Amino acid sequence: MTTLTRRGAMGLLGGAAALPMLGRPALANTKLNIGALNFTSHAASFVAYERGYFAEEGFDVEFKFFQAAQPMAVAIASGDADYAVTAISGGLISLAEKGAVKVIGGSLSEEKGIDGQKILASDAAYQAGLTSPAMLGGKKFGVTQAGSSFHYMGSKIAAAEGVEVEFVPLQKVGAVIGALKTGQIDAWTIVPHIAKPLAAGPEVHIIGDVADYLPDYQVTTIFTSATNAGAERAKTEAVLRALSKGAADFNAALIDKTTSADEMEEMVKLIHKYVNADKPYDAARGSIINGAMRLNADAALNTTSVKDQLDWFIAEGLVKDSITMDVLVDPSYVQTM
Amino acid sequence: MSDMPLTGREAAPDRSRPVPFRGGGFKPVRVRYLGAVVIVALIALIEWGTRTGVISNLTLPRPSDVLGTFRDLWVSGLLWDHLLPSLSRLAVGSALGVSAGIAVGVMIGLFSLARAGLVPLVAAIFPIPKIALLPLFVIWFGIDEGSKYALIAFGTFTPTVVSTYGAVDNVDRTLIRMGQSFGLTWWSIVRKIVLPGALPGILSGLRISLSIGIILLVAAEMLGARYGIGAYILEAGSLYDLERLFAGVVILSALGVLTSAAIGWAERRLLGWRV
Amino acid sequence: MDLHLDRLSHRYGAVEVLSDISLTIPQGRIVCIVGPSGCGKSTLLRMIGGLERPDAGAVLQQGDAPDGCLNPLTFVFQDFALLPWRTVAGNVELVLEDHPLPRDRRDRIVADVLARTKLSDFRDALPKQLSGGMKQRVAIARALAVNPAVMLMDEPLSALDAQTRELLMDDLIALWTRAPFTAVYVTHNLAEAVRLGHRIVVLSRRPGRIREVVSIDTPLAARRAGDPALEAHQARLWQLMRDEAEAADKELGDV
Repeated sequence: MTTLTRRGAMGLLGGAAALPMLGRPALANTKLNIGALNFTSHAASFVAYERGYFAEEGFDVEFKFFQAAQPMAVAIASGDADYAVTAISGGLISLAEKGAVKVIGGSLSEEKGIDGQKILASDAAYQAGLTSPAMLGGKKFGVTQAGSSFHYMGSKIAAAEGVEVEFVPLQKVGAVIGALKTGQIDAWTIVPHIAKPLAAGPEVHIIGDVADYLPDYQVTTIFTSATNAGAERAKTEAVLRALSKGAADFNAALIDKTTSADEMEEMVKLIHKYVNADKPYDAARGSIINGAMRLNADAALNTTSVKDQLDWFIAEGLVKDSITMDVLVDPSYVQTM
Repeated sequence: MSDMPLTGREAAPDRSRPVPFRGGGFKPVRVRYLGAVVIVALIALIEWGTRTGVISNLTLPRPSDVLGTFRDLWVSGLLWDHLLPSLSRLAVGSALGVSAGIAVGVMIGLFSLARAGLVPLVAAIFPIPKIALLPLFVIWFGIDEGSKYALIAFGTFTPTVVSTYGAVDNVDRTLIRMGQSFGLTWWSIVRKIVLPGALPGILSGLRISLSIGIILLVAAEMLGARYGIGAYILEAGSLYDLERLFAGVVILSALGVLTSAAIGWAERRLLGWRV
Repeated sequence: MDLHLDRLSHRYGAVEVLSDISLTIPQGRIVCIVGPSGCGKSTLLRMIGGLERPDAGAVLQQGDAPDGCLNPLTFVFQDFALLPWRTVAGNVELVLEDHPLPRDRRDRIVADVLARTKLSDFRDALPKQLSGGMKQRVAIARALAVNPAVMLMDEPLSALDAQTRELLMDDLIALWTRAPFTAVYVTHNLAEAVRLGHRIVVLSRRPGRIREVVSIDTPLAARRAGDPALEAHQARLWQLMRDEAEAADKELGDV
């Protein structure tokens, strides 16, 4: 633990550049572009970078930030990003079908007992009786794009409640938030670190948990280009190792809370550099701690959930029905569930 | 100098030569069907490239697959589900924008007060990317059809104003002078001389305005549209479904060609008097 | 109706263009105004027609316009000023549409003036299909349609070639002979002036003043190209104008 803390402090102070001297990198100074969203769910990448786990593996990492999940898959296919963490989307599956990308590990899962993604209702809809997901029939449900994870969740929740909802594509998370606050849409689902601060205001209410409808939902996965997955085994394994270390630190500090209070504070500060960075630390701290969800240990992947998602995309006609799990997932890197 | 020949006939044959021709070029010659040939050749090249693998399926879709997607759209009736909302958005939005634009443009052309007051305003709103205002329009006009009409109307309004007042300015002043000299009323002069005289300029401005309307269709359908050609293209883009993406783009192009042809037809009908 | 110009003067900014013009245009006569370019002939005509306001002096109508006159002072322009989107008949009709005339009366007027200008066969043609001479005949027909008290003709034949000009002069003479009209005819062409003018007013170079008024008593119908009496008038007019024209030509460079 002492080395870890020391390294963490070094990482925070001196940045990753000083670290290759300490570790013994297997790959000398490989440039790496990692795609990410400014969400707590991407914390493994941030921790691995800030604490030098990438540097230890010999990577010179640069983050590419995106506004939505689907463009990230395109960036992997175009070679603008090497590895990325994001939700399984129609775009990702289509690109896998074209032999461009592969899912290689899990990143974030819903888990019973840990606060997960929330189902939200706008105040207008809430006052009009939308107080539980059972009332969603005929309501406007916000999604970023057709075939996004929001579309999947909304569809699954509606199906479980036996109702029909109207999906409203709004392209960006920011636009969905705006539409929900102003009552242009009635409902949405989102990760807790965004859901909770929203629900703290008068415009939005939490009406349920996604985990009740999609237990063990594999929310985000780690993926890369088919070339990296197939031909660059050592590099890919090294990336997964670094991410796993980052995830382990994160889980210890914020989910299992097995570390000291100082360590937890340090972790929140680290994440605050990337998440809600525009808000003062004290304001952001609560939502980061409250919004933490478990990251998959050792990047384990819930293939049952992935299979369920793939089946849904096919059933909705969003992707070609010829796509199989083998095309989408390379299960050789991590433990699967 | 005395032995200098006086006429060409007496000149030494080896020193006579034709005057070199220097007048060619700089004159468009009408070549039929070449445009279609270029397009067909390009499509054939892409088809060949995607079939042989020279062009990867990540780069471009196979044209025959795009055609297949288009046929599926047609057979399933989805084509109309997407096309009709888009056409009605384009029609309502641009009808609002164009008619308001012509009214304001004519006012600017006729009244110095309107010109002084409105030209700077129009110049100020012309370069605003209308897409940037979409979230605002959603608040003002609602996430349903209202905001889409507003976006297209707003986008077609400013170019129409500019082309209309330019067209009014270009109406032959001697015709207006003639109208005045015969004691025509102000309204008669506007209706029978200014408006018909400005019509060519207004119609050619309309070509640009309606093209902008088609471009804005995709933007308008970014927020809250499940059906519509723009929504279809956006969805295909986010699903990285290149066949659908291109099928949608082809529909937009066809829409552009059709609008242009319609205006061309209107020009032939209404402007047959032009020399 | 006679027209009387009373001490007209006008200036554009610092440049005086017309100075102290007094003139009477008697009913039923054609008064030609000639002068070197830039002498203010066209400005003078526009003032007579009420399209421009003189700085000093006034244009006075004396007596009443004839019965059925819809537009007492009616212009015929050098560049015809036809609406290209209207047919020949439509262009004539344009000037009648603002008057409360019964439909059949309007049609009769149109048919009548087109017949008088020998355009009946072309009533549905568009201006672009017509030659320059035909276009000017349409403009003349349009002017006749409002039964004007005075026709104000601003170099009406200048845009036409020499042969067409001859033909149109004959047409104008025939029209006048059948029904004498009053006209102020501005031209820089002395041959036109001696063929068409009962009186010819010679303006000096800028500022335009009346240099001389020449009367020609030969009836219009009797005037022929090459007539020695007319040649003599033309030579005398040229004599009067020559120095002015020369001086005016040099002056233009200074403006």
